Amino acid sequence: MKIITQKHLQEWLSRLAGEMNLVAPVNSKGKMIYREIKSPEQIAWGFERTKMPPKNWYFPMTESILEIKQGKETKITEPPEPQKTVIFGVRPCDARSVIAFDALFLNKPPVDRQYARHREALIMIGLSCPQMWDTCFCLTVGGAPNSKEGLDILLSQVEDGYAVELLTVKGETIFEGVTFKELAIKVDEPQIHNGLPALRKSDQWMALFNDLYWQKLSDSCLSCRVCSFVCPTCRCYDVRDELVALKPGLKEYERLRAWDSCTATGYRRIAGGHNPRDTKEKRLRNRFYCKFMYYPEDYGSLGCVGCGRCIDACPVGIDILEVIENVDHLLEKVQINV
Amino acid sequence: MTKMNKQIRAAAEKYLKDSIVSCVIGYEEDSRGRIRPAFIEDAKDADRLIWNATCNLNLVNYLHQRKLSPGKDQPVPKTAVLVRPCDVRSINLLISEQQIKRENIKLIGITCPGTEINGQPRTICQFCMERTPVDWDVLIDSDQPIEIPSAEDIYEDIKEMENWTPAERLAYWQKEFDNCIRCYACRLACPGCYCYECVSEQVDPHWTSIALDVPEKMFFHVMRAYHLAGRCVGCDACEAACPMNIPLSRLNRKVAREILEMFNYKTGDDPEEAPLLACFDPHERLRT
Repeated sequence: MKIITQKHLQEWLSRLAGEMNLVAPVNSKGKMIYREIKSPEQIAWGFERTKMPPKNWYFPMTESILEIKQGKETKITEPPEPQKTVIFGVRPCDARSVIAFDALFLNKPPVDRQYARHREALIMIGLSCPQMWDTCFCLTVGGAPNSKEGLDILLSQVEDGYAVELLTVKGETIFEGVTFKELAIKVDEPQIHNGLPALRKSDQWMALFNDLYWQKLSDSCLSCRVCSFVCPTCRCYDVRDELVALKPGLKEYERLRAWDSCTATGYRRIAGGHNPRDTKEKRLRNRFYCKFMYYPEDYGSLGCVGCGRCIDACPVGIDILEVIENVDHLLEKVQINV
Repeated sequence: MTKMNKQIRAAAEKYLKDSIVSCVIGYEEDSRGRIRPAFIEDAKDADRLIWNATCNLNLVNYLHQRKLSPGKDQPVPKTAVLVRPCDVRSINLLISEQQIKRENIKLIGITCPGTEINGQPRTICQFCMERTPVDWDVLIDSDQPIEIPSAEDIYEDIKEMENWTPAERLAYWQKEFDNCIRCYACRLACPGCYCYECVSEQVDPHWTSIALDVPEKMFFHVMRAYHLAGRCVGCDACEAACPMNIPLSRLNRKVAREILEMFNYKTGDDPEEAPLLACFDPHERLRT
């Protein structure tokens, strides 16, 4: 197994920072977040899970997808190519989110041009988790603390540094010229949570669609967008043409896309004002049905990687793992009744 | 079980048993030992209710979802709600703004030792002089000792901010709002933010971009602070709900202080009084 020392790792990251956009977890007033960094000294090495997922670098919070200049002739231009970006310290759950993104944006036509460009420019260096933390449940949704899916390189901490697994051509390419030792070292198995609830298959969920449970669950929901925005797999967005500048004889617009969330009141509102998901019960239910039924059925990937961020961030304590567990119990009852 | 929890449960049970209300809104513990809002509709579930220092939302916010008649010829549902002294002020705010009627509400008030946000005592609690609500139907005494602070340093952190130059103030808030993810949890946790459509989300007229960038976040927060001038009761539910730990309380307390000094007005004193900035008094004089 390839072993790289902390010192050589830092040297390599320094080099990468000079060659491309380097993103890594940093400590910002006690909050762990991914940030673009200039030097590996800024990295918060002891981080567990960041407050926000790394999706901002392949699905930016806000981006211009077209520029439109309207004068005598209308000119439409695409934004420049995204900069090559390497994200260091991606947790295996977050890395699996690109599988969910690819399922929608790349694998089923039409291909999302802007996402495809970001994805092409993206390299992810993962850091396997030594343990599952409080609200983690990656095992329930098919992941693992040391999963390799979605990553280009996986690093796992060992006694004298990190064990390196090169997983893709991209990973091999950026690792070229790095000093490492070949040693016969076994990486410790991560500590896992036992007794996590099992996730019901997508075709079972429909039996509970009209269950009173959703109404009860949504009593406290604020219809805010926290859960979706901290979610590594939520990928809904809003698009709007916005006026940038008004000059004599010229109007400049940009077509913006920004994160949006199905839990927000206006998300599903259509022209004329009708809102098919007009209650918070319907909106909250949609969040779970999207992740565990609609998305897997339509795109073949779960919409959840089990990071647990929404459990931590929800201001009113709505707990997705508890939902998975309750759905399991409720379905048992339904099946008994049938 | 603490004496306080016992009394909260007894009050809730009585209201439900006697059909005085159809729902009691309080707090319960989840399976992880954390606090979350609870909606108790059956007297036998009243023993789920608890109170502790991490109960830092303002449950009055949930009265908005129970303020209208559910259907033709049906009365507005009656609700009991667990309230701290600051929360009661938002009851008075909503009555004065004709959102709710006192007759539809039962207040299970508590004397408040102060609450915590992210494991720290709330700034506002450290200065709070009001430990008994201005109104209640049942009053439950806190299990914890209540220390009323001296009033001297109540605006210390605000004064510090006032001493900064405008450029320093802008830089401070831009940095804080840079962390904002525009999730609107602050707005949606606030009993005073109940607009059918928020300015920040309105499409026609289109006041602000959908972008999640600093100017839009700044616009949203400053606009919200202005819209809460004379209306914010200082419950800090916004700050408690914020996933990014933005010190919203500092902004709201600054505005509340201005209102107090200009008009000698504290939000929620009197449910009969017209909302401060929604009425015009020709004799009114601003501070000069």
